[in-house]
Amino acid sequence: MIAVSTANGYILFFHIISSRGDKYLYEPVYPKGSPQMKGMPHFKEEQCAPALNLEMSKILDLQAPIMSLQSVLEDLLVATSDGFLHLIHWEGMTNGRKAINLCTVPFSVDLQSSRGSFLGFTDVHIRDMEYCATLDGFAVVFNDGKVGFITPVSSRFTAEQLHGVWPQDVVDGTCVAINNKYRLMAFGCASGSVQVYTIDNTTGAMLLSHKLELTAKQYPDIWNKTGAVKLIRWSPDNSVVIVTWEYGGLSLWSVFGAQLLCTLGGDFAYRSDGTKKDPLKINSMSWGAEGYHLWVISGFTSQPTDIDADIRNIVKQPSILLFQFIKSVLTVNPCMSNQEQVLLQGEDRLYLNCGEASQAQNPKSSSHSQLKPSREKSPFTDGGFESQGLSTLLGHRHWHVVQISSTYLESNWPIRFSAIDKLGQNIAVVGKFGFAHYSLLTKKWKLFGNITQEQNMIVTGGLAWWNDFMVLACYNISDRQEELRVYLRTSNLDNAFAHVTKAQAETLLLSVFRDMVIVFRADCSICLYSIERKSDGSNTTAGIQVLQEVSMSRYIPHPFLVVSVTLTSVSTENGITLKMPQQARDAESIMLNLAGQLIMMQRDRSGPQIREKDNNPNQRKLLPFCPPVVLAQSVENVWTTCRANKQKRHLLEALWLSCGGAGMKVWLPLFPRDHRKPHSFLSQRIMLPFHINIYPLAVLFEDALVLGAVNDTLLYDSLYTRNSAREHLEVLFPFCVVERTSQIYLHHILRQLLVRNLGEQALLLAQSCAALPYFPHVLELMLHEVLEEEATSREPIPDPLLPTVAKFITEFPLFLQTVVHCARKTEYALWNYLFAAVGNPKDLFEECLMAQDLDTAASYLIILQNMEVPAVSRQHATLLFNTALEQGKWDLCRHMIRFLKAIGSGDSETPPSTPTAQEPSSSGGFEFFRNRSISLSQSAENVPPSKFSLQKTLSMPSGPSGKRWSKDSDCAENMYIDMMLWRHARHLLEDVRLKDLGCFAAQLGFELISWLCKERTRAARVDNFVIALKRLHKDFLWPLPIIPASSINSPFKNGKYRTVGEQLLKSQAANPFLSLEIDTGISNIQRSQSWFSNIGPTHHEIDTASSHGPQMQDAFLSPLSKGDECSIGSATDLTESSSMVDGDWTMVDENFSTLSLTQSELEHISMELASKGPHKSQVQLRYLLHIFMEAGCLDWCIVIGLILRESSIISQVLTISQSSEVDGEMLQNIKTGLHAVDRWASTDCPGYKPFLNIIKPQLQKLSEITEEQVQPDAFQPAAMGKTSEQTSPRAEENRGSSCHGSIPQIEAGSNSVVSRKEEDITSGDEEEHFQDGTYDCSVS
Amino acid sequence: MIEVVAELSRGPVFLAGEALECVVTVTNPLPPTATSASSEALAWASAQIHCQFHASESRVALPPPDSSQPDVQPDSQTVFLPHRGERGQCILSTPPKILFCDLRLDPGESKSYSYSEVLPIEGPPSFRGQSVKYVYKLTIGCQRVNSPITLLRVPLRVLVLTGLQDVQFPQDEAVAPSSPFLEEDEGGKKDSWLAELAGERLMAATSCRSLHLYNISDGRGKVGTFGIFKSVYRLGEDVVGTLNLGEGTVACLQFSVSLQTEERVQPEYQRRRGTGGAPSVSHVTHARHQESCLHTTRTSFSLPIPLSSTPGFCTAIVSLKWRLHFEFVTSREPGLVLLPPMEQPEPATWTGPEQVPVDTFSWDLPIKVLPTSPTLASYAAPGPSTSTITI
Repeated sequence: MIAVSTANGYILFFHIISSRGDKYLYEPVYPKGSPQMKGMPHFKEEQCAPALNLEMSKILDLQAPIMSLQSVLEDLLVATSDGFLHLIHWEGMTNGRKAINLCTVPFSVDLQSSRGSFLGFTDVHIRDMEYCATLDGFAVVFNDGKVGFITPVSSRFTAEQLHGVWPQDVVDGTCVAINNKYRLMAFGCASGSVQVYTIDNTTGAMLLSHKLELTAKQYPDIWNKTGAVKLIRWSPDNSVVIVTWEYGGLSLWSVFGAQLLCTLGGDFAYRSDGTKKDPLKINSMSWGAEGYHLWVISGFTSQPTDIDADIRNIVKQPSILLFQFIKSVLTVNPCMSNQEQVLLQGEDRLYLNCGEASQAQNPKSSSHSQLKPSREKSPFTDGGFESQGLSTLLGHRHWHVVQISSTYLESNWPIRFSAIDKLGQNIAVVGKFGFAHYSLLTKKWKLFGNITQEQNMIVTGGLAWWNDFMVLACYNISDRQEELRVYLRTSNLDNAFAHVTKAQAETLLLSVFRDMVIVFRADCSICLYSIERKSDGSNTTAGIQVLQEVSMSRYIPHPFLVVSVTLTSVSTENGITLKMPQQARDAESIMLNLAGQLIMMQRDRSGPQIREKDNNPNQRKLLPFCPPVVLAQSVENVWTTCRANKQKRHLLEALWLSCGGAGMKVWLPLFPRDHRKPHSFLSQRIMLPFHINIYPLAVLFEDALVLGAVNDTLLYDSLYTRNSAREHLEVLFPFCVVERTSQIYLHHILRQLLVRNLGEQALLLAQSCAALPYFPHVLELMLHEVLEEEATSREPIPDPLLPTVAKFITEFPLFLQTVVHCARKTEYALWNYLFAAVGNPKDLFEECLMAQDLDTAASYLIILQNMEVPAVSRQHATLLFNTALEQGKWDLCRHMIRFLKAIGSGDSETPPSTPTAQEPSSSGGFEFFRNRSISLSQSAENVPPSKFSLQKTLSMPSGPSGKRWSKDSDCAENMYIDMMLWRHARHLLEDVRLKDLGCFAAQLGFELISWLCKERTRAARVDNFVIALKRLHKDFLWPLPIIPASSINSPFKNGKYRTVGEQLLKSQAANPFLSLEIDTGISNIQRSQSWFSNIGPTHHEIDTASSHGPQMQDAFLSPLSKGDECSIGSATDLTESSSMVDGDWTMVDENFSTLSLTQSELEHISMELASKGPHKSQVQLRYLLHIFMEAGCLDWCIVIGLILRESSIISQVLTISQSSEVDGEMLQNIKTGLHAVDRWASTDCPGYKPFLNIIKPQLQKLSEITEEQVQPDAFQPAAMGKTSEQTSPRAEENRGSSCHGSIPQIEAGSNSVVSRKEEDITSGDEEEHFQDGTYDCSVS
Repeated sequence: MIEVVAELSRGPVFLAGEALECVVTVTNPLPPTATSASSEALAWASAQIHCQFHASESRVALPPPDSSQPDVQPDSQTVFLPHRGERGQCILSTPPKILFCDLRLDPGESKSYSYSEVLPIEGPPSFRGQSVKYVYKLTIGCQRVNSPITLLRVPLRVLVLTGLQDVQFPQDEAVAPSSPFLEEDEGGKKDSWLAELAGERLMAATSCRSLHLYNISDGRGKVGTFGIFKSVYRLGEDVVGTLNLGEGTVACLQFSVSLQTEERVQPEYQRRRGTGGAPSVSHVTHARHQESCLHTTRTSFSLPIPLSSTPGFCTAIVSLKWRLHFEFVTSREPGLVLLPPMEQPEPATWTGPEQVPVDTFSWDLPIKVLPTSPTLASYAAPGPSTSTITI
């Protein structure tokens, strides 16, 4: 029956007659032969409109305009403008109209003050009212803006029995809406806010629960400009309320005031061109079935703006809009709250958080969550999907969209409940009849095979998964019987495979805890069942048994008010200490959400304890429950888990509550530390409220994360020009999608604990979470928030929290990092306050250095630079720079160079300003640095410093390298930096860390060649060839050569080598004679010459002769060809090195062909080739070789030649060395070095021997050269030699590489003196060595 | 007893051309306290990726296969044939790689080996259609001495982004890397480069939006306008379209939109009709939206493209194309009054027509569906990313 009120005070009653048989309208008649689904069972319901008939049955004249109509059970309550309330029976029109004059109803603040005042004035009437069944009364709004609640004192509804209560402070009410489940009255006000009241159970007074208000912070431009609240509508499931205002706009709020959506926000309010949209004006609206739709009658009050006039005209006539929504399954099936997935249900599809599979593997991705109860989409929207980069995958926003089987939907629309199993792999949905389930793995739906079974079953109380089973509470239509059924997922969906238990009353709620099922029934009782798996043969079922029944009728006024019932292991007493072995805790208590009031009933353990010891397992479960205790008010959802984790007991045993606009609350257990007795004064649990910015839909317990979803609006306006926008109305509406969000909350809880002096608990909690990837962020957030609050507070804070927080953070190794990150994100003005609490930044910097945390130290440098005088920051920067160099932190080095220069320039010009100081070590700083160095560097234009090509390096003029870093090479800062770089390079070279040196030069663009030229005779000298060789082997992972067993034999079987042995003996015999002449300074050379002669003994004479000839020629030629530059480029005439000259240093092939090798030697070498190091090392070594060659560091070339075992290199080096410009000392050094190597090879590394043998001819040559060079020295005046000896060190200092070749004579002279002395010392060793050699040979 | 576990840490979905990495863990599951006599040995283990092709007899006429290639692979027990015992033919395989030889495991001992292989870029995508199936598998074969080979098959899903095949990794531009001391992880770089390039291309292809409008009319007049904002989509995206029926002259009672794939056997392989073969074209519906739209002026729909579906592709034998398939139910009677007359002075009962003669017609709009990031596609299949076998 429909009642329609007219403007003049008539009520028209219509009967709806739907009988007319099985008749439908608009039945499509398909042309013959079309393959349409005419034969389908629900064809008509699906495709046709039901034929309803409206018949006017009665007209009633109330003689005054009707303000409000309300259906109250069998009656119709009508409020008229003359101040009367009429009660009209729906059917019996003659039922004796009751009219109550409002003036006769007493109003008071509460029901206890029996005598209330009357509404004195005659023109008072009700503007809006709504009946609340669960409170049994009317919420009313009077025409003067006052609001109130009228309730019959007794069951009789007469004027005398009515009594009203009102809040004193509301005087601008406009409309009202009632939430029956939560017993809330939402009054819209002229100010634009909605005040939600509830009734105090004891006094009957109206209590303000919360307000729905747009905040000035979030909506600065529309706050207070919305006009009065026009309409308020609670959704059919009572979980959300939609509000619209006089000036348009829609907003959606959760029960207790969490804002879910507002079309007045930025997303909806503006067009892309910046003009403001007219908000959607709504005349009337109503929710569709299950809250999936909002039907809206829109009225665009024509208020045309200039541009949009024509669009307005099109839309001006009122139209019906349909908004689609999706909601969280928690709103209707609260048993899902112990699960960690987010599942949203829409009219025809489910949205599922799909990060679950990866969650186990990747803790970070566990933050993926899903949608929310408010997918909003206007039917006139435009579509498309937001583009999304691959880089955002980790935090991907995708979800599984599961389209509900259309076959099921056709006959069972709408979907009422859905649930997902623990693993997130199976989903079950419940529609009007029966249910269906879906496997995400197979992507298949399973429906009842027998439609009759489906249609005979109405699920009444939700459904839950228990392992592979689905537990449902349903009504069996054919048997008229309430039942509890368990179906197995894997078997066919058929009652034959179901376990059915009869239930006494309609089940309203159902939830599963471990192996227990808890149901709440319409008779206000709670029933516990045990569930167990039974398999008899192939048939697997689950059995259900009643464990316990608890009547709640004493506490629950109406079963409809119960929002959720869950069984938890949470109890007020933890009972056990933290260390106590943790067995799975039992179902300790029942949590019951009664209209937002969370009630806990614990098991009563105060009874005789003997029961506990009883062996009957069911005995304990039958422990009675204590009387209920109220834990919290305004609760929307409760999350607990039945899992246990010893490490994270705080998080797992806590109870998490979402409280709408008030944020979340956690009921945290407090554990005594160690085994100490719990303090008697310390309660064992604490309720901590905290704010989060999202609407929580799932709690990930271990991960300390809350998942939620937000409505995200996509604007398509920008796609079109104004012209097309005029043509296509689609553009007028935004398109909404739901985005998943997640939030960490740990810092709130830690802070709350610290405020309450529960630092110990905070520490325990934090330590249990320290492994979470975002834990550093948590600490930082906490520090930052406290700092911001306390440092910016106007009044002095009596008991500041910051020191406590700082102290708390020191407990973690992340302390240094946390502090500096926090400082960097705070403004400079707060730094003093911060560091007063956490300690002096200088000390913190040094701690970082000690802890080898250079990056953090670098961050502190920025702080220091702003807080200290330049000298201090420079000193620290130098310290850090050196450490960074040492550790090879190249990026940091580059930053530091930049930084040092920045403060340097500041030193001389202006004091450093904060922004420039922060830049260098911010991540963007490197870019800046790089650009600058490119633009300033003349030698490497267009080449980023990190990518110096070899060609460039080689062609670079070997001028002072200081030029690279700045325009003004004279700048003291640059000199300073260069000095440090040089020092480091020297240090590396002296330590034979060639690999590090290479990296250093490459990373920092350090010009090795020019530097090496300068250092040729100092740091770049090889002091100990053997150590250098060993070290290179190690650093470059280059295997030491090994002589294969066969080859050890073969050379010595060779007749040729036998003669070698003989020669060796001979030469050794000659040695004593030579050694007598040590003093002459020639003996060494001669001796070595004779030693070298062992290599090619048969050609000794010829070699000597021939080597004299070309050597003499070269000595004359090379100075001419080479000019000033020290380059190997001139050596083009040397066949061995031709490939090197081309710059092809990566060449791998060996030029053995130029050497006269016997077959056996070739074989030998080819075998050795197998023992080469990695290719990369080889490339690197060749690169270094090239550098050294260029810089004239021949001794290093020799070492590398040795390690590469390429005689071509050796011979090339030696050829170069024959040029007169190479100083004798170096040759001498090479010679002695090679001797040492040979000795070492003989004793420790015979693998080198063959190679050394190969290069013997060259070495012999070398000794001759040295001889040559030394001999002329002998003719020099002794005095000259001495002076040069004294002056040479200084001369070397100043002599650039360019003048290298100009004073060969003096060099040679001075060096020869030195080398002589050295030879004196080493000669003894060589004697021994020779004996060793002999020994070797004789053994063979 | 030896347990072999293969784990694809990144998930089972890869882009062709990407490197696959699989960690193979071999464990002796006995407790370490067991006697030493129970140490176990494996002679060798080898791994190989292959793509198995299988065509439906009734739909595809393949050239007569070589007699040496029976449809079911030989069941050889002693040779490492990754596709042993599978139907169809192996059309693509990577060279087998040996993981280890002569492995001995004491009780409780466990060893892990990493297998890495670049998936062939030129292969077909993973696809299970009506006519053909392309199935990728990573097969790990192990053999104990004197025992037949045991195969552990790890199913893979390969997405193919066409166009990537022709692109070569930029071989160290003109500015060759300079100093060999500058660390450059060539392999990793190339891999990420490919993924990056694929991402860029996908972005470029799918992020551009422009409104396409289509006038829909049947023989009698205009039904409405269909608007769609993109024509190229990625897996996992929603296809969103709007339908404006307000301006139409023909009343539309109902419409449905299906997101479909059309699998078509190439003409040269089609089995001729009449010989009892099934049609050479088959359609699969992935998502569907149906709405009764009488009196509706504007409406919209959103159809999700399942992450688990195969993007469009074309091989020599078969082609897969995506389309939106519309079906409209329109009134045959022009000028059918669907609303009660507004200006009726006398009270009267108005009844809607009980039957409306209708026509149905359909319309196909081709769209393009491209792959998405393999990591994202991995989410489509919840479940373990490990495969286990016990020898």
